[in-house]
Formats: sequence, structure tokens, C-alpha cells
Amino acid sequence: MDNEQKTNVSSQSKNTALDLLGTFGRNLGLTLYALFALFPLVWMIICSLKLDSEMYNTVFVFSPTLDNYKAVLLGTDYFKAFFQNLIVAGGAVILTIVAGVPAAYALARYDFKKKEDLAFQILSFKFAPEILVILPIFTIFQRIGLYDTYFGLIWVYQLITMPLVIWVVRGYFEEISVEIEQAAQLDGYRWFDIFFDILVPLIKPGLVASALLAFIFAWNSFTFPLVLSGFKIQTMTITSLRYIASDTVHYGQVAVASLVAVSPEIIACLFIQKHLVRGLSFGAVKG
Amino acid sequence: MNETDNAPRDDRINYNEAPVSVRRRPYFIIAPGLLILIGILIPFAIAIFLSFTNFSFRSTSWRFVGLRNWSDAFADRAFYHAVWVTLRYGFYATLTQMVLGLVVALLLRKDTFYSRVLKVLFTFPLMVAPAIAVLIWQLMTSNSVGVLEGFLNFFGVFDFPWASSHATAMFTAVLIDTWVNTPFILLLVLAGIQSLPKSPFEAAQVDGASSWFIFKTLTFPMLKPFLYIALLFRVMAALQEFGIIFALSKGGPGDTLMNISLTGYITAFQFLRMGKALPYLLVLWMICYVAAWALVKRQRKLAKLAQGY
Amino acid sequence: MRVCGKCRVVFLVVLVAFLALLAAPATAEDFNWKKYAGATVKVLFVQHSVSEAIVSKFAEFEAATGIKVDYSITPEANYFDKVATSLSSRTGDPDLFMSGAYQLWDYSSAGFVEDLSAFINDKNKVVPDYDFGDIVKSAADALKWDGVPGHAVGTGPQLGLPLAFEIYSIAYNKRAFEKAGIKVPQTFDELLAACDKLKEWNGQGSYALAIRGARDWGTIHPGYMSTFANFGAVDFAVEGNRLVSKVNSPEAVKMTEFWVDVIKRGGSPSWSRYTWYEAGADLGAGKAAMLFDADNNGVQQNWEGASQEAGNIAWALMPVAKVGDTPHSNYWTWSMAMNSASKNKDAAWYFLMYFTSKGFAEYASVEKNSVDPARTSVWNSEGFGKKMAKQEGYIDTYNKTINSTTILFTPQPYFFETTTEWAATLQDIVAGKYKSVQEGMDSLKVKMDKALEDVEIK
Repeated sequence: MDNEQKTNVSSQSKNTALDLLGTFGRNLGLTLYALFALFPLVWMIICSLKLDSEMYNTVFVFSPTLDNYKAVLLGTDYFKAFFQNLIVAGGAVILTIVAGVPAAYALARYDFKKKEDLAFQILSFKFAPEILVILPIFTIFQRIGLYDTYFGLIWVYQLITMPLVIWVVRGYFEEISVEIEQAAQLDGYRWFDIFFDILVPLIKPGLVASALLAFIFAWNSFTFPLVLSGFKIQTMTITSLRYIASDTVHYGQVAVASLVAVSPEIIACLFIQKHLVRGLSFGAVKG
Repeated sequence: MNETDNAPRDDRINYNEAPVSVRRRPYFIIAPGLLILIGILIPFAIAIFLSFTNFSFRSTSWRFVGLRNWSDAFADRAFYHAVWVTLRYGFYATLTQMVLGLVVALLLRKDTFYSRVLKVLFTFPLMVAPAIAVLIWQLMTSNSVGVLEGFLNFFGVFDFPWASSHATAMFTAVLIDTWVNTPFILLLVLAGIQSLPKSPFEAAQVDGASSWFIFKTLTFPMLKPFLYIALLFRVMAALQEFGIIFALSKGGPGDTLMNISLTGYITAFQFLRMGKALPYLLVLWMICYVAAWALVKRQRKLAKLAQGY
Repeated sequence: MRVCGKCRVVFLVVLVAFLALLAAPATAEDFNWKKYAGATVKVLFVQHSVSEAIVSKFAEFEAATGIKVDYSITPEANYFDKVATSLSSRTGDPDLFMSGAYQLWDYSSAGFVEDLSAFINDKNKVVPDYDFGDIVKSAADALKWDGVPGHAVGTGPQLGLPLAFEIYSIAYNKRAFEKAGIKVPQTFDELLAACDKLKEWNGQGSYALAIRGARDWGTIHPGYMSTFANFGAVDFAVEGNRLVSKVNSPEAVKMTEFWVDVIKRGGSPSWSRYTWYEAGADLGAGKAAMLFDADNNGVQQNWEGASQEAGNIAWALMPVAKVGDTPHSNYWTWSMAMNSASKNKDAAWYFLMYFTSKGFAEYASVEKNSVDPARTSVWNSEGFGKKMAKQEGYIDTYNKTINSTTILFTPQPYFFETTTEWAATLQDIVAGKYKSVQEGMDSLKVKMDKALEDVEIK
């Protein structure tokens, strides 16, 4: 690791010491970050098991209860919001994939006029302040009947989901050599066979990883569903905040609601764990 | 589908020489995606239009006021304050998260059981909705009933003011932002690290180069395209940050955290002065647009360079 | 107005009796609740105990009237933003929405709010046992406004009907005062003295007085505005055809100096992020010895098992200049108002009538936790008395305050803007960003006048 490596034999033991120190430092650093990153989550789990009366006066020693779980999961229409959120966020990601992957392909494969400009425009949607677009969208949705509908929300969520997916997947397409497609064509594959049998498996890691991130952002979206829905469709974040009741903040219930809210994301994350990191490398993984 | 036959054997197909039907094809393929996004573009046009009117939620009628909203904004000290807060918040949040994300990713580089488990666990904060994250942190940072107060007391710090003082409000907001969003950078940097070729590093080690030297001359430059992408997405989000600050202190104390998003939102949706808020939000959009343009240009260049490996 | 209170009641009783004799549906049984069966009303709720009570009775309402209800519940931090956007669309969604009086000034100035007098005064539309006179008069009056900036509430269109309200008083921890060996403060000076005496009364981190301090209107309207009035200060005055801010008047400055003193000597170190929740929670957790806020805030901490200090909390009048002075309390009403663009006004009226009725108010207050009922009959009922038996001094404090309770803000359509600026300035003053309170209030006056620059009194 260090310059001394080549000097003499005695440095061998010094090296081991350095290695040990390095390992120690690394694990210390990781543990510190783990404390920062994970303690709030652990705290959330602890809170979910506490009664309101113990919320402020106890730290780790308290009498655990499942009352909060009962109150949230059995007592309210929480699951309705859960499934509606699933439809909206899932629908948004599916629409993004259906419309976005071909777009990513075109941006990667073809050289056409203004290509880079167009690619940038697509990306720039992600950067438009939500608060800026929300008012006109609200007015338009009210007029054309998209207010408080699944499709309306799914459509608006494209602002959140589509640019990310297009950009990641485009990187993957750029990495796939044209020769593969040409060879397949010579073998008599039709274009959609090429697309589904050859290209899709190759872009899968990127698609899956960016789709998951897109799903997370859509799932947690707050401002759009707040203004654009409410009567028929309720989403998780807003519903979770409802346990900030008028009497007091039922932190225990908020914790339960948020823990259940993150569960589909965590399950998805564990499922595609292999792809998650690989997938965001924009197809640049070598070897 | 034989157009590719007459294309040169190159990475790109020269569509200028291809038949018209083929030349148009990319536009067809891209059309559905574009259409969906352009549908959402209409509101931008409307927003720009409305910024020249006195439109508000107060009334169903409106009239043109010319440049009044714009000149009012530029004449208002609150406007420059908001821009300044936006830039400062964007800078602090992004810098903290980039450095932390990069360091933690490098620490995770060695493939051990511990690091494999942590890689998964570390992504979890990203999944918590920011509004909820603030709530958790608010409970933890409460001076009277929070768990962190006890922790800090142990170190002899009492009544750390967190979000309630002008001096530490920005720090607290950035801290929560960092908690939620560092995993995003972490993921991208880890992806970058995975894509690094092995041979240059092996060669450097054989030559006995120091870790710092390897990082400076090999790892960091090679990770740059990934860092740029992470930077791009984070800078944009941090410049526009609304949810965390609004839930934390509504922009207070005083005007400490009143960035453009908050000022715009409160002016439009609470004070019901949409026309007055739109110049703020459009300026934010322009700031984001310019910053994104610069970053993207640089990133595409770097990515192309990196592809040369 | 109050002088005539008695004759008014007598008059109303006679009138109601007379109407009851003449009215088409002679008895409650004859009233056709099913007249609008099949209609759907959309209702926006804020997260509140009274909303919970209403939602729990939807099945009964739908069975009784055949009217279907679509509803949405929004947390309070974002609630009014949603109301404003929805109303401005003029599509008729929602038919009904919850609101406070202050917000109705904004919305009614824009013409978004239906005048309910037309319904209330139409004997064919009101169920005979509705008994409008039983609604706490000051609460009903607080929701009337003629739309002229600067004119007091109490006349003009009925913009909403009250579901619940708040008056302001001191909720205190009996244990804290026993421990410190002092009496509950009755005057401003005693309050300041108590602030010093109660410092760390319950160990490290505990303090004397919890009050709100966050950067929104919620900071101004409870204790601050009440005390502001008790110092003899006003927010605006009419000068010619304009409303002019008076927040830098000598009384206002003196009061704010006092308030800043209270915060510094007896408040939480994180006062500037305190909302209803933090303030109430600190009283319940035994961190704050007193709470100067809505009377029902402390109650939620005092139910058995609700918090650590549950059972130790009692109520007293807010402090005044000298013992015996009338405590002027500001008023907050959670009311239900009708969208003037609603396409189902009659069905919406049925909803409104059903959920502002005596029977429902009693249910919401006795069986649920809406503890400032908008009906006099409930305040006087045995059931409510029993329910509040352990809330020492609660009903007594209410009775001593309600007659001097009124909206202390000057009605004007930029309420949110002026009070948000006010709260932000207060935060800056407490943090020492201004050289003096006077300087802070001077700069606030300029901001408030600017906000109202296009308000003209015709």
C-alpha cells in the first residue's frame, strides 16, 4: 500500500499493522455512518412500539405495545391509500418504461438533428420546479376531467420518473454495439425480436435500477397528489401525515404508517439488489 | 428492415443517406415519450404567460399587468435573499452529500460480508418520504423530549437549538437532506466503482503507489462521469428543495430558510398571489436550467472520454 | 351588543316557537330528510377531532338522507393551500369545506363562499328541531362578515356554521405550582415572576411556559393576539379609505416587549419551531409548567393515559394587567362553509344541518373528543359535564372568558400574509436581529401596509 513496501523484510510486519489500522479505520468510518443512517430508522421502529404517553419520557426502556399497529392497520382506510399509491406509482413507472425505453433507444442509436438538445430537454423536465407546474396543471386537469384520477396522477408523475429512466437506459443502449443488432438482422430476426430477445436482457440492470429509483421518487411524491387528488385517490405520504392528529402528533402511528409505507420499496430493493448498483453504472461496466 | 445493410459499419448509422422513411424513424420511436412530456410542457407556457398577469386564487378574472410582477420581484430585497438562500442551501447540501457519498462508497469498496450488508441497509433512508423524515428528525432533535438532546448532554452540549435558531437552521435542514439523499449518491458512486477496470489499479499497486496517489490519479478521474450524474441530480433537487424546509421550519426562523421554492409556494398558495410568485419560480427554473446545461455538457464529454477506456 | 343579549334570546325563543307553529314541516318527524337522496356531496376536511367524529357518522347520515359523501382529510399544515386551489377552480368541487373565520375573509372576498342565511332563514329548508339560537352566539357571529375590510365581524352574510371553536386560557401543571410554592399567575407581572421561578422546575430541560412560535399565522392568533388586545393594542385602524397597520403603536411595542421577555425568561429554547403540537406535548410531558394556548390543547394531554402528566393539568384565566380586568380572548372557529360554485347546494345544506345539529354536537363532544362544542346546550348538558369532570377549571374558565371572546383581528383579505410576516418578525426580534422591538415592529408595519396596498374601503 505504501512506498515502504519494496524496502525491506521488516516492513512486512509494519505493513500488516498498517493494513490492520486501515481495516480498523474503514470499519470505524462505516460504523459511524451506519449509526447516522440507521439510527433514525431504528428510532422509528422503537417509536412504533411506544404508547403516546411514553413517547416523550422514555428512550430505550418502555413497555412495548402493538396498539399503534392495530390503530393504523385495522382502524383506518390506510390500506386503501396503500393500494391506490401502488397503482399510481406502479402505473407511472410502467408508462415510463413503455414510452421511455424506445425514446432512450432512439437517443442512443440514431444521430438526428438536435439530438443532444432533445435529450437535454427531456432531462430538464426533471429540473422544473414542481411548484411552478402544479398550478397550471391543476387548472387544466379540472377542465379536462383528469383531476383526482389515476391517469392524471400517472401522467404528471412522468415528470419525476421518465427523465431518470431515459438517461440511465440510454447509457446502456450506447454501450451495446450496433454489430449485435446487425448480426441478428442478418440471421433473420425481426426488429421486435431483436428488441425483446437481445436488447432488453442487456439493458435489464439499468432498467431495473432506474425503475426502482423512479418508483421510490413517485411513491414518496407529496406536492402533486396533495393538489391533484384527494377525494377518490389518496396517497401514502399524505395519509401518513394524517396521524398528526388535531389532539397531538401520534408519533407511534406515524411511525407505523411510514414503516408500512417503505415496505414495498425495501422488498423491491432486496429483490433487485444485484442489479441495483450495477444498473446505475449506465452500462459502463467493464469486465 | 434492411436499412442497416447499407449503413456504414460504424457505431452510428448515417441517417442522412438513408431513405426518408428511415430518417424519420427516430422521431417516431421517440414520439410517445416526448408527447407525454410535452403535454406537461404546456403548463410551463401557461406559467410564463400568467407571470404577466395579476392572476391569483382570489378571483376568477385577471388582467395583464405587463412586467409589473417581474419588476416588483427584482425590486424586492426578499427576492435576492431568496436567491442567496437557494444557492447557499444548494451548495452546502450537495457538497456534504457528495463528499459523504464518495467517502462511504470508497469505504465500502472492499468486498466483505459487513460491507455487503451495509450496501443494502444504507439505501433505506432514501425510501423514507422527506416529509416523514423531517418528522422523525424533529422528534429526535426536540430539546425537551428528543433523544439527541440526551446524547449531546453526554458530551456537555445543552439545548442545541437545531432548527429553531438562525445560526443552526440551515445546518439542521442540510443534515436531514443529507440523511435522506446521500444514499442516492452512494448508489451512483458504487455503480461507478464497479465499472472501473481492474488493470490500471493492479499496475499501480505493483508500482507501490500510495493510496492517496491512486485515488487522485486513477479512481477519482475515472469516477468523474458518475460523480457528475450524481451531482447533476442532487444540485437540481437541492436548489429546489421545498418539502424538507417547509416541514422543518416553514422557512424560519425569520427568513433564514426562505429559498425561492418556499417564497414562491407561500406567496402563491398561502398569500394567494400567483402572479407575484411566478417570477420567483421562473427564475428558479432558469437557474436550474443553466446549471443543468453546464453540468450535462461536461458530463457527456467526460462519459465519452471514459468510454474510450 | 351584549346589553341586549337577554331580549334577543327571548325574541329568538318566541320566533322559533312561532315559526315552529307556522312552518310547513310542523315537527321534526315530518321533515323530509330524503328529499335529496341520490345526490353526492364532496367535503374537504382538515385533520381534527371534529372531522373524525363526522366521518364516523357517515353511514348514519347516508342511511338517513340517501346522500352519498365523498371526502378528503388533509393535515393542517397543507390544508388551506388545498382549499384555495380547489375553490379557485370554480368547478363546484368541493361542495363543503372546513375553514376558520380568518380564511373565510380571504375566500369570501373572492366570491367563493355561499351566504348561508338564505338556508337558515328558509323555514322549509330547516328541520324544526334545529334550533339555530342554541349555537353559541359569538361563534355564529364570528362567521358573519359584510366583506368590507376594517368592518368588524358579526354582520353580513353567514359565511359558515361553527363545528367547534377555541378560546384562549392558561393550562397549567398543578404539580409544578405546588413544587414551586407559587400561585397561578393572574397578571402580566405575576406571569414574568412565574417564568423565573419555574425555570427547570422538573429537572434539566423543563421550563415555565409553552407558547407557539413557528413561522405562520398560528403563532399570532392564540396567546399573542389575546394579550395584544389586553394591552390595548390593535392590528389595523381605518384611515380614510385605507387600512393602516398599527403594530408599531406604543401599546403594541410595549406588549411585544413583554412577550419577548416572557419567551426569553420562560419559554422553550426552541420556541421558534413550536406549533400547537410541540407546545401541547411539552405540557403533557412535564417539560412546560404552563401552556398559553387554545383551551382544548391541554385537554388532549390530560385524558387518562394520554401523557405523562395526565391528570395533573388544570385551567385558569389568561393573565391581564391587574386582577379583575376582563380577559379579552381571541377566537378561533372551525366551521363548515359552502362553495358558492357548488352544484348540490341543497344536499350540501342537509349535510351541514345534520352535522351542526344539537344531537351530533353532543355526540362529538361527549362520545368523541371535540371539547369546545359550538352548541350551548352541550356545554350545559350533564353528559358533557361528566366527561369534563376531571378537567379542573375547564368549563369554569370557559364560562368566565366566552363573553369577552371575539375575533380580535381586523377583518381583511390578506390575513395569511400579514400574520405570517408578523410571526417571522417576532422570530427575528426574539433572535435579536433588530436593535429594538420598536425597530422590528416599524419594519413589520411597512410590510403589512405594503400587503394591503390595494385594499380600498368603499
